[in-house]
Amino acid sequence: MTAAQIFAVIIFAAMFLMIVMDKIERHLVTLGSGVLTLTVVFGICMKNGSAVWNTLALEGFTKKEFWYQVSESESKGINWATIIFIAGMMIMVEGMAKAGFFRWLCMRIAYLVKCRTIPIFITFMIMSAVLSMFIDSITVIMFLAAVTIELAQLLKFNPVPMILSEIFCANLGGSATMCGDPPNIIVGTSLGYSFGDFLTNTGLAAGISLIISVVFLYFSFKKEIVGESSGSVDMSKFPKPSEAITNKRDFIISSLIFACAVVLLVTHATTHLTVASIGVFIAAVTLITSGKHAPELLKKVDYKTLIFFIGLFIVVSGLEETGILELIADFIKKISGGNVMLMVTIILWVSAIASAFVDNIPFAATMVPVIQSLAETTSGIQLTTLAWALSIGTDIGGSATPIGASANVVGTSVAAKNGYPIGWGKYCRKIAPATVLVLAVSTVYIFVRYL
Amino acid sequence: MEQQLIISVGREFGSGGRVIAEALAKRFDIPIYDRHLITEIAEKTGLSPEEIEKYNENPKSKIFSRTVRGYSNSIEDNIAEMQFDFLRKKAESGESFVVVGRCSETKLRDIKGLVSLFILADMDAKVKRVMEIYDLSEEKAKAFIDKKDRKRKRYHNYHCSGHWGDSRLYDLSINSSRLGIDGTIDCLEEYIRRRIKICG
Repeated sequence: MTAAQIFAVIIFAAMFLMIVMDKIERHLVTLGSGVLTLTVVFGICMKNGSAVWNTLALEGFTKKEFWYQVSESESKGINWATIIFIAGMMIMVEGMAKAGFFRWLCMRIAYLVKCRTIPIFITFMIMSAVLSMFIDSITVIMFLAAVTIELAQLLKFNPVPMILSEIFCANLGGSATMCGDPPNIIVGTSLGYSFGDFLTNTGLAAGISLIISVVFLYFSFKKEIVGESSGSVDMSKFPKPSEAITNKRDFIISSLIFACAVVLLVTHATTHLTVASIGVFIAAVTLITSGKHAPELLKKVDYKTLIFFIGLFIVVSGLEETGILELIADFIKKISGGNVMLMVTIILWVSAIASAFVDNIPFAATMVPVIQSLAETTSGIQLTTLAWALSIGTDIGGSATPIGASANVVGTSVAAKNGYPIGWGKYCRKIAPATVLVLAVSTVYIFVRYL
Repeated sequence: MEQQLIISVGREFGSGGRVIAEALAKRFDIPIYDRHLITEIAEKTGLSPEEIEKYNENPKSKIFSRTVRGYSNSIEDNIAEMQFDFLRKKAESGESFVVVGRCSETKLRDIKGLVSLFILADMDAKVKRVMEIYDLSEEKAKAFIDKKDRKRKRYHNYHCSGHWGDSRLYDLSINSSRLGIDGTIDCLEEYIRRRIKICG
């Protein structure tokens, strides 16, 4: 191993360890690690100025393909498209939340099913999955869990099974689209895939899994939910959905912007607008229409997450430029003995197990170049197949434990703050088997459809 | 009492900190929040006091917990935050009280009427006290003290930037072995009365 390789691995391992230790904020960890990669690995060890330039990838902004892309292209270094898109969606979501959109939607659905516990349980699971296809799962769960607790207190049922099911379905819904979960945005923008590519591949797997999951979770939690719900419900006691709307004008505008974002995402392969363009457009429209409230929305953007991504991409570039990721790819190839089925299984299940315990974003960012290398050097395997296995593995695997995905942490935290603590045991008893079930279904789906 | 008085009592396990805090609460005729804090949180959240006790003043497990945008899955963290919120609300409402532990010297630092104390004691005295109260052998009492203090230290240092027991964090750190428990209470009472006089 060269000095550059050794330092790249040390920086990456130390970064991962520090993220897990949670002593220093994770964006500072990745940014510090990124600066070390640029100076120590690229500067001192490799003395390679072009590696620094390629990693910073600032040139991309000036290129037409960054904003308008006719053919698929892969990106290297800092994945600015991912960062810009996430920032744009964050601004849009803040606008929607401020107008009361999410609370209104939750209350509206609860009203539509006449506030009966079982129908709320099922519709909230589906709503969680559908919303998470377009909006980050943290926001979805933040609102869903809060409304679930509110309804639970009014209807006198235990909200824990419902919150756990919503978390699971949010992660599942996130796996269905390119913008549903950060690993998918990374996979999609790095490999040049469209929203439609995801929807017709991981989306179909998520759709099948959602049906199975709703049935599984219904039977898993049936006793707890049915046992406590009373038959008749006095609807007059419930807050009206319209009360959730803070400002009618803002509500209509934010709903239209959301609809516009969905249309732009669904059609971006046809319009050739990249996700970076969509992110900028959505953010600009939200800020323009929010007028004097624009600075307030900008302040609420989670800049720490964006910085986290920047640092992370630099560190992963360090592994890529020094050839470490090729070594990992060779290792996977060796243990799978060139057996394509085994290779897919390893990618999917190792991604899932890793994502159940560590942040799935660094994992996905690291694995993208690995699967690229595997597809280039192995006959009989398409890059797309490995990409779907990676996406499904990282997105679904995160559901297995309370710390596997951001939605799990937020959901269990909202529950605990309201007097419903959810420990590892309570969480894993029902959700870990559901995760294994969906992973098994997805493995079969990939085998049948692509191999 | 017109002027707000909040007495924050940090303590080493076995130093008599809780007894001292209770005595101060009596002498100044103000409520004490220690176990009572657990009951109040239990009433507010619907959790049982036993459940809260399980996670009370416990450090979270770093391996098994994660924080996302200020949300933590750790039950210990959430119980701690609830207690900090509760104390802050009480303090901001102008209420006077004594609070034991809960990082109160840091969390309520900006409250004008705060008097922060830290009670320590010689190891021999602590061991003797713990042996009597918990009916333990000398060896077991020492191990118990170490375990409890390690936990308190980790809990404190995780939630605050200052170090647990560091004299710079408190208005007064006092070794209860020097004057004995009663002597320490008298001394602290006098100190607090002087503080009230100066501030008033």
